[in-house]
Amino acid sequence: MKYESILSQLCEELLILTKGRTTVGENTELVGDLALDSLQVMDLLLLMEDRFDISIPVSILPDVKTVRDLAIQVEKLVSNS
Amino acid sequence: MNRIPDVTFAPLPTPTENSLPLRRADFSTLAEALDYAAEGETGANFYSGSGKLATVLPYRTLRIQSLVLARRLLSLPIERGARIAVVAETNPDFLRFFFACQYAGLVPVALPASANLGGHEAYVAQLRGLLKGCGASVAMASSQFLRFLQEAAKDLDLAFLGTPADFEELSEQDVELEYSRPTETAYLQYTSGSTGFPRGVVITQQSVLANLFAVVNHGVDMRPDDRCVSWLPFYHDMGLVGCMLALVASQRSIDYLDTRDFAMRPRRWLELMTTTRATIAFSPPFGYDLCSRRIRPDDVAQYDLSAWRVAGIGAEPIRAELLDRFARLLAPAGFDPRAFVPCYGMAESSLAISFSPLRQGVVVDWIDPDELAENMRAKPSDHKSGSGFVHCGAALPGHEIAIYDNQANVLPDLHVGRIKVRGPSVMSGYFGLPEQTQMALSPDGWLDTGDIGYLVEGSIVVTGRHKDMFIINGRNIWPQDIERIAERQPELRSLDASAFCAPGPNSEDVAVVVVQCTLNDSAQRRQLTKRLHREIHEELGISCVIELVPRHTLPRTSSGKLSRSATRVDYLRRREQDGSSLSMIDSTDLSDAALSGSLVVDWKLAKQAVPTGSGTPFGLRAAASPD
Repeated sequence: MKYESILSQLCEELLILTKGRTTVGENTELVGDLALDSLQVMDLLLLMEDRFDISIPVSILPDVKTVRDLAIQVEKLVSNS
Repeated sequence: MNRIPDVTFAPLPTPTENSLPLRRADFSTLAEALDYAAEGETGANFYSGSGKLATVLPYRTLRIQSLVLARRLLSLPIERGARIAVVAETNPDFLRFFFACQYAGLVPVALPASANLGGHEAYVAQLRGLLKGCGASVAMASSQFLRFLQEAAKDLDLAFLGTPADFEELSEQDVELEYSRPTETAYLQYTSGSTGFPRGVVITQQSVLANLFAVVNHGVDMRPDDRCVSWLPFYHDMGLVGCMLALVASQRSIDYLDTRDFAMRPRRWLELMTTTRATIAFSPPFGYDLCSRRIRPDDVAQYDLSAWRVAGIGAEPIRAELLDRFARLLAPAGFDPRAFVPCYGMAESSLAISFSPLRQGVVVDWIDPDELAENMRAKPSDHKSGSGFVHCGAALPGHEIAIYDNQANVLPDLHVGRIKVRGPSVMSGYFGLPEQTQMALSPDGWLDTGDIGYLVEGSIVVTGRHKDMFIINGRNIWPQDIERIAERQPELRSLDASAFCAPGPNSEDVAVVVVQCTLNDSAQRRQLTKRLHREIHEELGISCVIELVPRHTLPRTSSGKLSRSATRVDYLRRREQDGSSLSMIDSTDLSDAALSGSLVVDWKLAKQAVPTGSGTPFGLRAAASPD
């Protein structure tokens, strides 16, 4: 699956999760900008896992800050699965 | 020796029934406990996020693999009692390393395998603090966590660091193993204390076996047909001692879910309880709450929880109404509310201090909040106007609980004071921290728990903490950590931040930090707020309400320290008085689209829930302390 497709689906999910209160782009910080709390982060990971049929390891999270970081990780996991 | 494969073909979980006669934790060391368990058929089973059985680890196999690993560890230039730090994911390797240490006379230390989104630096700093704190000689992480561990261990003098596969390269020493002896240290347990000042609790074989004996016999009354499910992490005392060692020491099978998988899909816990016909599971109140929020009524019909006879609750203040909701929701699945067993305990006492009687369920004391706050008395009140606190049962056999005032007098029943405990489960001290140890442990063996509460007919009731720690979404949060993050910002200086918790939406606790600064420019204020919010989340994994106030606003104590409790009272007063006109962050931030996330939501909801006072354990008034 292409990065662009993952990115747009991710942005879509984030819009739903944040109830469309703000715009979401590649550089949007998940915590810094969207202020997701730990339970919302879990919800987001769950959505990603279910939608792309992947398992996101906990160990990648420390290096995910922006929407782009997460999309890149998801792309990797999708291509490896 | 060839490594015995983890997975047999078409894996079946280890059985519940065991041909081996049940011995209820009457061992003198953990190694001896595993030696006995290895004679039977039971063991540990690990499930993947998709709910599939990934690995079956019979205790028999665990013993053989741990013995091999023990001989490999002894090839390293380390002394007896050296600390072996292990990033403790929920997988068989943690158990192998833990018991290899038992067989080799080494001391295992579980490191957290949990980091927050974007929290790379904070996680590495935390691991480094722990490696240094315990003076680790050896460190292990899976290939996924290795890079963090390597970064954390940079320039530290370790004899070996690697993945489980790296340890397999070590040569087995052909020596007779000297198991860890009853008076030797069984493990170090890092308390979920402030990340800035980690404290490693030293637990001897005698201590942990004393606790296991009490828990297995008195606490849960272990039976031959018992089986356990757990999603608690091994770097937590309830996960390590309650949901791992207790099962080995009573030769029962256990089924493990990864903590993160549970947090994402809490229904898996109940699905697994159903399929395995599990009889025992423990969780902090947070876990029961998460389930009740996520379970759909349609799900309930699929569950059969009728075998669940011990639903242990501990590690956090217990709110009865949450448990009630869980029980009502799952009653159609056969869940019996009398299965609830509220407990009290802490790593400093190996694990447990008290257990409620089995088959009793949750007993709530309704007490007068004014009497509690003003006179430190538990005066019975009615359901409507009282604060509800849960009975956590009597001290385990062989252990004592006493309530002390600040002048070291023992208080009678229904008088609120410091909870102290004494008995064979109590720690030897904090590793390498004689001053901290001296503050916590008296010469005659009383451990100051850091909690406050009262006794009623022998049962302990916890009403609060005289330590400042609070708990958000199951995480222990120390205000010092939030303040430290605030005060390192270039705009701020030391003593500019005061953190505490306050009632939020649905009356659960939310973290609040009041920050004083001289910034007037709204863009700068917004920038500071946003940065603070992000850094607190990266480091501590929680959202924090941030209030900016002018300099010289924060109240101080007579000795010049910031007073968190006075700041909290002021904050709540401002919140109540100013109502909608008070901005949590500041009014310009509220209009900023980029910040319109949960900070604002938190605030709006928090306002709706401003102290109802009554019926809200750990609410405003109940936070009174004897200090």
